[in-house]
Amino acid sequence: MSSPAADLVFQVDNVQGMVDALSAVRWKRHQDAVLELSEHGVVLIVEETGCLQAKVYLQKELFIKYEYNAEVRPRFGVSLGLLVDCLNTFSVPGHPTVVEITYPGPDMELLLKSVDSADSCIYAEIRTRIPETVSWDYNFEPAGTKPHSFTVKSAALKEAIDDLEWPGSSIQIILKPVPPSVTFRGEGHGDLQIDFLYYANTDLLTAFHCDQQVSYRYKYKFLRATTSNIPSSVIKDNRGSKLSIGRGGMLKVQHLVSVARPSPSHIDSAGYQQPCRIAYIEFFVKPEEDDATNG
Amino acid sequence: MKFKAFLTESGVGLLERRFLPALDKMGKVCHLLLTRDHAIFLHNLLNGDGVQSIAQFCKEALFDDYRISSQNEDKIAFVIDVSLLHRAVRSSVSICSEFGGGGAPTDRLQIKLVKKLSPNCTQPMPFLTFETKGYKSAVIQDVPISKPLSRAQLLELQAALNMAQDLPQTLVQVPNLNQLQNFVDRMKHVGDLLNVSISKYGDLHLQISTTLITLGAEFRKMLVIGDKAQEPLEDQNLSAQTRSQRAILRGDALSVQVSVRHFSKSLQCHLAKPDCTFYGIAPQGVCLTVIFQFFIPGTRQTDKSISLHCRLPVLDP
Repeated sequence: MSSPAADLVFQVDNVQGMVDALSAVRWKRHQDAVLELSEHGVVLIVEETGCLQAKVYLQKELFIKYEYNAEVRPRFGVSLGLLVDCLNTFSVPGHPTVVEITYPGPDMELLLKSVDSADSCIYAEIRTRIPETVSWDYNFEPAGTKPHSFTVKSAALKEAIDDLEWPGSSIQIILKPVPPSVTFRGEGHGDLQIDFLYYANTDLLTAFHCDQQVSYRYKYKFLRATTSNIPSSVIKDNRGSKLSIGRGGMLKVQHLVSVARPSPSHIDSAGYQQPCRIAYIEFFVKPEEDDATNG
Repeated sequence: MKFKAFLTESGVGLLERRFLPALDKMGKVCHLLLTRDHAIFLHNLLNGDGVQSIAQFCKEALFDDYRISSQNEDKIAFVIDVSLLHRAVRSSVSICSEFGGGGAPTDRLQIKLVKKLSPNCTQPMPFLTFETKGYKSAVIQDVPISKPLSRAQLLELQAALNMAQDLPQTLVQVPNLNQLQNFVDRMKHVGDLLNVSISKYGDLHLQISTTLITLGAEFRKMLVIGDKAQEPLEDQNLSAQTRSQRAILRGDALSVQVSVRHFSKSLQCHLAKPDCTFYGIAPQGVCLTVIFQFFIPGTRQTDKSISLHCRLPVLDP
């Protein structure tokens, strides 16, 4: 029963898309997440030991109904694993389900309910908690006028990071303007270097911006977290991921996940699926501090 | 103690493609009880806490030329490994189809109880032997079984079987077993204990509740067999939880707690391709019963020669 006083009531018609988007930031079994609700949509944030943060942006355009009534933006904590497993229960293959999500319930729970069938109904109440304060600020600022950045096919990025598991521990990312190239270099149990040359692989490296050479090291396990659970739909849709390096070597990794409903009824009059039905996923990775000037 | 029979073609089909795959999911080993008229596969009837499953066939459903004799009223029971039995039946089928290309009716699968001295053994061991006679060759497969049950053990098994025949007063028919299985398989990740309530109005309500989450599903207005009642109008627009609580208080519903794992296991019986599935709670809530019905092929009439049901142990709240 959604009371009119609820801060937010929204309906999801592509549960699997939402499960995919949220799973992309699930890099271990037990993870606490913070949900922020606003008039623009829902943001989910997860963090690890002050070195890695991930955000999933679910804009209100992804939902078939979005009623936001709060005056102060609500913020609460939930277990990410439980939220994903629970949402997954609503996703029945070959049987599209509409799920209505309401916050808060009578005891500050997150309420979920399937609404499309009169004779069967799935429902859930997830306990929420008061969120911890964000441990450090992930403000991403460009080092110069524009951040150093490149866009690479998500599949190629994932493959490169998977391959770097062998040397492991610490991975150096080097961006060079002449010739424009990106290098992933791992040194540990052995050396492995993977180069993406902009002019040689224009289909893999689709955009590149860098005006001076930069080089930072990142912990392998954090880099791996940025691609370990990329949804298969991202690879299938042949999407690209954008990586940017900002001031102090902060690495930002962005993925796009389709939350479009795969049924033909949602193709609009122009004959293509609405382009706004994309969830944005961002990871922020702090570099390893190997000299005293950092931080 | 003697047992010898020929498996019919339809009997082989029933076992190989439907029942043995389902029974294999219920547990590695089971009792096979053979009587003058029936062959009955029994899981967990003597050892308490698993899902009990009982698959009973009239001898005509599986065999022809069925001969059995023993000093225990012509009853024989033993423990058999379901996957080994399945493998033996499956390979007999492939041998038959390989050699009997002409479809000669003489290619019959004989099954009999034997005692054989196996290598490295001084004592003869009991086996269920499958003998397939092809056009020019014969293939014999021995499936090892336990020593046949003693008279006392047989009586105990028979008593447990009689106990397991009580019917719930209200049974609801679940229309879409695949959908239910899909749901329960996903629910498994959230918790271990499942509350199941079944009402005389035809409602089935499943719920997992932990300190962090409550997750449930309600299936309403299903076909009811046995005690039924009209749902009060004022209950129509309530939440699933409130509705089932009110029905329990009114005495129109029963509720039990079972293991999610057991519930999901019982749904594996859909491998036997039942035509109808009913859920019910036994009187006093002693167990959750699932009854599968099979139609005579090409009709909507229940095939009384085959029956399958499961009993899920109830956990103390």
